[in-house]
Amino acid sequence: MKYAAKKIVTMVITLILVTFFVFLAFNFISGDAAVSMLGTNASPERLAALRHELGLDEPVLLRYVKWFAGFLRGDFGISYSYRIGVAGMIGEKIPVTLTMALYAFVIMIVISIPLGIFAAMHQEGWIDRGVSVINQVIMAIPPFFSGILITLLFGRIFRLFTPGGYVSYRTDFAGFLGYMFFPALAIALPKAAMAVRLLRGTLIREYNMDYVRTAFSRGNSTKDVLYHHMLKNALLPAVTFFGMALADMIAGSIIVEQVFSIPGLGRILLTSISNRDYPVVMAVIVIISLLVLISNTLVDIIYSLIDPRINLNE
Amino acid sequence: MSKPGILFKKNTNLIAGAVLIGFMLIFMLAGIIRTPYDPNAMDASLKFARMSGSHPFGCDNFGRDILSRVMDGSLSTFKVALGTVFIGTFFGILIGASTGYFGGAFDEILMRINDAVFAFPSILLALLFISLMGGGTYQVMIALGIAFIPSFARIVRAEFLKQKNMDYVKSLRLLGASHFRIMFIHILPNTLTVLLSSIMIGFNNAVLAEASMSFLGIGVQPPDPSLGRMLSEAQAYLYKAPYYAIFPGLAIILLILGFSLLSDGISK
Repeated sequence: MKYAAKKIVTMVITLILVTFFVFLAFNFISGDAAVSMLGTNASPERLAALRHELGLDEPVLLRYVKWFAGFLRGDFGISYSYRIGVAGMIGEKIPVTLTMALYAFVIMIVISIPLGIFAAMHQEGWIDRGVSVINQVIMAIPPFFSGILITLLFGRIFRLFTPGGYVSYRTDFAGFLGYMFFPALAIALPKAAMAVRLLRGTLIREYNMDYVRTAFSRGNSTKDVLYHHMLKNALLPAVTFFGMALADMIAGSIIVEQVFSIPGLGRILLTSISNRDYPVVMAVIVIISLLVLISNTLVDIIYSLIDPRINLNE
Repeated sequence: MSKPGILFKKNTNLIAGAVLIGFMLIFMLAGIIRTPYDPNAMDASLKFARMSGSHPFGCDNFGRDILSRVMDGSLSTFKVALGTVFIGTFFGILIGASTGYFGGAFDEILMRINDAVFAFPSILLALLFISLMGGGTYQVMIALGIAFIPSFARIVRAEFLKQKNMDYVKSLRLLGASHFRIMFIHILPNTLTVLLSSIMIGFNNAVLAEASMSFLGIGVQPPDPSLGRMLSEAQAYLYKAPYYAIFPGLAIILLILGFSLLSDGISK
C-alpha cells in the first residue's frame, strides 16, 4: 500500500511538471493569441480587451496556476477557432480514444499469451519457427498500414464492416464496438507480435531454471509446472511490456483514427495543430499524457502486487 | 569485453537484415542517380495506369509513376531517420556518458527528467514539438531527434556505469588520463556493440515515426513524395488501385524489418 501511495505521489508530481512545461512552451512559442485571433490589423483597444477576456494580461505563473486549477475542474479554456469551451469539444472524444486503446490492449493479451506459451512449448519445432518468422514480419508493419490492409481485406473483400461507417457510442453502442474492433486490431497486431516473442523468450529461459527441474522431479506434469510455477515468473517482464504497450497504444490511436475516419482525440488534435488552436492542442496533449501516466502508474502498482519482492526492496 | 564475433558465427538475422537494408540502400541510391520518371511529373492519360513493363508499380491519381515516387519517398524517409538517429545518438551519448561517468546530483536530476520524458510515447512528444515549431522535413527531424534522446541516454548511461569501475579505467586514471579522454577514447569504443544495436533499433523506430508523421500530413510537404503521405493519399482509392497503397507500404516494411533484423543480429 505504501508502494502504491508513493507511485501515485510520483505520478502527481510528474503531471504537474509535464503540464507546467507544456504550458510554458506554448506560452513562449505560440506568440500573442489575441493577435492571431483578431489579425495584425486589429486596433490596440480591441486587442487589449481580448487579452483581458482571455486572461493573457496576467503573469505567467498565476496563469499556469489558474489553468491547472481549471484543468482539475475539467475546464480547459476557450478554443481560439471556435470560441467555445474546449472541454465540450473534447469531452465526448475521450471515451472513443480510450475504448480503442483498451480494446487493442485486450486483443493484444488474448492473442499473445496463448501464442507465446504455445511457441515456447513447441520450441524449435516447425510451428515455433513459423510463428517466429511471421512475428518478425508483423512487428515491422506500422499500424496505419495494417489498418489499410485490414480495410482492404475485411472491409472491401469480405465486407465484414463498412469502411468509414463509424457510428457514435451514443447512438449505437454495439455498432460502435463492432466497428472499433478493426482499428483496435490494427494497433494491437505489432504489439501482440512483440509480446509473443518476449513471452516465448522468458518461458524458455525459465524452463532451464533449477526450480523447474525440481518441480518436474517431484512428479508434476508439464501442465502443472507451466501454469503453477513458470507462468507467474514469465509474466513479470510481460506485465512491464504490456504497460508500455498500453501507453503506446493510447498515443498510436491518434494515427489509426485517421485510417478508419474515427472522430476521436487524434483528429481534433491534428486539426487544432494546423489551425494553431493552442488551448485545444494543450488540452488534448495533457489529457493523453494523463492517460499515459495513469496507465504507467497502474502497471507499476499491479507489478508490485504480483511480485512481492518489489515492496521488500523499497 | 569480447570482440563482436558477428562476422565469424552464422547469424541468420544479421545476414537477412544486411541483405534487406543493402537492397533498400541500392534502391534509394539508384533513385538519387536517376528515377525511371520524374517523380512529380503528372500525366492525365496515365491516371491509375495498372502495373506494366513501363510502369512496374503502376501510376497514381495524378498519373505519376509510383516506382519513381517510392524510390524518392524511401530516400526522404531514410534521410529523416538518419537525422533523427544522429541527433538522438549524439546528445544521448553526451548525456548518458556524463551522467553515467560522473554520477551525483547532476545525474539524479537529469535522469529524473529523462525518465519522465521516456515514459511518453515518442509520437506524442513529436506532435507536441511540431505544434510548436510547425510541420516540415527538418522540424520532424528535430522533433523526433529530441524525442529519441532519452532512450539513447539511458542505454549509454547504463554502459558507462558498468565500465567506469573496471580496472582499465582505474589504471588510466593513475596514468593521468583526463576524464574526457577516458570517456570518449577508452570507454565509448567498448560500448560499441550495445550502441550499434540500439542505433539500429533507433533507425527502426525513426522510419516508423517518420512514416507516421508524413501519413498524418506533418512531415515532408507536397509535391515531394514521402511514403507516409503516399499511403494516406492511396487510402481514397483503395479499391480502385490497391497497388498504390501496397508498394509504399512494402517499402516501409522492408526498411523496418531490415533494421530490426540487423539490431537482433548485432546484439546476438
